[in-house]
Amino acid sequence: MDDIAITGMGAVCSIGNCCYEMLKTMHADLFGIRDNEHFSSEFQDLPAGILDVSDSNLKLISHVEGEQVSRTQLMAQWALREALETGYVHAQKACSDRTLKVVLVNGTTVGGMDLTEQEFSQLRQGEGNADCMLTHDCGATTEAIARHFGNTFSEWVTVSTACSSGANAIALGAELLRSGRADIVVAGGTEALTRFHMSGFNSLMILDHAPCRPFDKNRAGLNLGEGAAYVVMERDELAWKISGKMAAFGNCVQISAYLSGYGNACDAFHQTATSDNGEGPFLAMTEALQMAGLKAEDISYVNAHGTGTPNNDLCESVALRRVFGEKMPPVSSTKGYTGHATSAAGAIETIISLLALQHDFIPMNRGWKEPGEGLVCPAMDCHSFASLEHVMCNSFGFGGNDTSLIFSKKPTAASGQDHPDTDNGICELARVEISDTAQLSDVSEFVKPMEARRMSRLMKAAVLSSMRALKEAGVDTPDAIITATAYGAIELSERLLNQLCDGETLKPTWFMQSTHNTIAGELAIRTRCHGYNITYSQGDRSLQWAMDDARQLIRQGKCRTVLVECHDETTPLFRQLMERVGRPCQEEEVKSLAIVLSCGKSSL
Amino acid sequence: MEDLILELKQEIIAALNLEEMSPEDIDAEAPLFGDGLGLDSIDALEIIVLLEKKYGIKLSSASEGKAIFTSIRAIAEYVSQNRKK
Repeated sequence: MDDIAITGMGAVCSIGNCCYEMLKTMHADLFGIRDNEHFSSEFQDLPAGILDVSDSNLKLISHVEGEQVSRTQLMAQWALREALETGYVHAQKACSDRTLKVVLVNGTTVGGMDLTEQEFSQLRQGEGNADCMLTHDCGATTEAIARHFGNTFSEWVTVSTACSSGANAIALGAELLRSGRADIVVAGGTEALTRFHMSGFNSLMILDHAPCRPFDKNRAGLNLGEGAAYVVMERDELAWKISGKMAAFGNCVQISAYLSGYGNACDAFHQTATSDNGEGPFLAMTEALQMAGLKAEDISYVNAHGTGTPNNDLCESVALRRVFGEKMPPVSSTKGYTGHATSAAGAIETIISLLALQHDFIPMNRGWKEPGEGLVCPAMDCHSFASLEHVMCNSFGFGGNDTSLIFSKKPTAASGQDHPDTDNGICELARVEISDTAQLSDVSEFVKPMEARRMSRLMKAAVLSSMRALKEAGVDTPDAIITATAYGAIELSERLLNQLCDGETLKPTWFMQSTHNTIAGELAIRTRCHGYNITYSQGDRSLQWAMDDARQLIRQGKCRTVLVECHDETTPLFRQLMERVGRPCQEEEVKSLAIVLSCGKSSL
Repeated sequence: MEDLILELKQEIIAALNLEEMSPEDIDAEAPLFGDGLGLDSIDALEIIVLLEKKYGIKLSSASEGKAIFTSIRAIAEYVSQNRKK
């Protein structure tokens, strides 16, 4: 198996406009959690990790004055420019052959929501500027980011697994390199603060009204944050080959670290809470260690997810103890510096992990004061220099999407092993399509009324098609669940935007189902599937990406059965808005497809 | 108090989308969470939103809500003592 070298990095967030500034801020023990007044007065009592640069200045930096561009996109472009420059991707393209395939893997959940929510009160009355609809969805946001860099990227894809999106983008990027689907990958995540998800998290009552205190006895929730971060990744041999070529130009590729392991697992417990025994986090960390060929005691530092909510920090502590036992390495959450930048968090914390590895220091757990029962005692010295070899970085998300990454100074022993490629044909065991809302009541075949009562229309369609397909295939628990959606929960998003415009508190039941990955999370709970779980959102290419991923998992012998599904819906308002911008959407109110793929072996 | 109990039952049925239930099906004294009606933590959040919207009562945390919401009668007593509208 090829070693994955990291040859470039870039970031913007509340503690810095570039990676170096982030390092300086942390070393000076300054932090980015601020009063919220210049974001929106309605959230005055909720501090947040806000990037201290206005939209108009972000536009100046990106040379896009006058256009309607989302903050999510602008931040991404800024961070990407730094990553590309340090990774010499431009120079590489110039000095090497043009056949190199450079792919952008982007994690985002809110996409262009910051623009949509500004326009929505007008849009719902048939007025206002509907151009924001062109980059409302995650896939279109990623496409716009990629196109900003001319011909640099030959392909792009969006991973949307809520708060683990950035980490999953980096893991997927490594898979694309290893399977030869990309030569250079730029992967990470971006997320702007929006009133939409600020209000949503507030209605779930998991926001701290003071600066957050991860792993502290008196922790009372998280502070949201924003930002973007990306790494450039290559197969090790290619990085050295390019480095040789570039030496002639007086440049060299700097390998800052290796991505030696990653694990993606699903907690399969609850849409917004982690299980008491931290099963998903435990499995993700264990899988990452296994891939890296490392023992738990080899890890020199863990950058924890550590959001500061009572539930996350306790369950993560339980999982950490299950993995590391008595040999607990230094652990810290850096969200006390940055806030929780949701889809960008995994990527921002990847940058922090890489900085720690490069500069041999352990970031401290800002905000912590008092130990609590069952909680790990985090690292608290902001000038703690130590020789680090392997750093683990955890990211967990709604839907139980848990991912753990391991970065190493040198390639690890196990990275040299190849996956056993199975030559068995991949076969389709079942395929079920639902495109009629009248069928949705049939969901009672699989779901109790007390559970069905809070399911959205799209969720019912997804559960019905998937459970029928699994039944037809004779599979109770698939090995992996892969979801594709272009627009996600449009009906719920619209209802929530209406509530936002009307000044109402957002309905918790709707908000927790509004992220794209809740479908895969729900299916994992129903099928007790703790395996690989991911959601793609790349317009009409979403299903293709999901199918490619599933086939790859089966080919590598990692999975025997994979549930792949694709779901989208529309509403009269959404249809009208998309028509206004010349992008007609599907005719059907709801459309859901579920496919069960298998390795074809009879011993399922 | 009985009027308030009926009103709360109707509001809760609507907010939690308990489609197949009518107010008579809910025992005002029965526990709401776990056994009894079988509600969960998300329902507790919905009831918190409901109390704020309908009665102007602001609770500061989900655990505070769960301690109060032991039965419909307990909620009714809390509302009658703390309502702002």
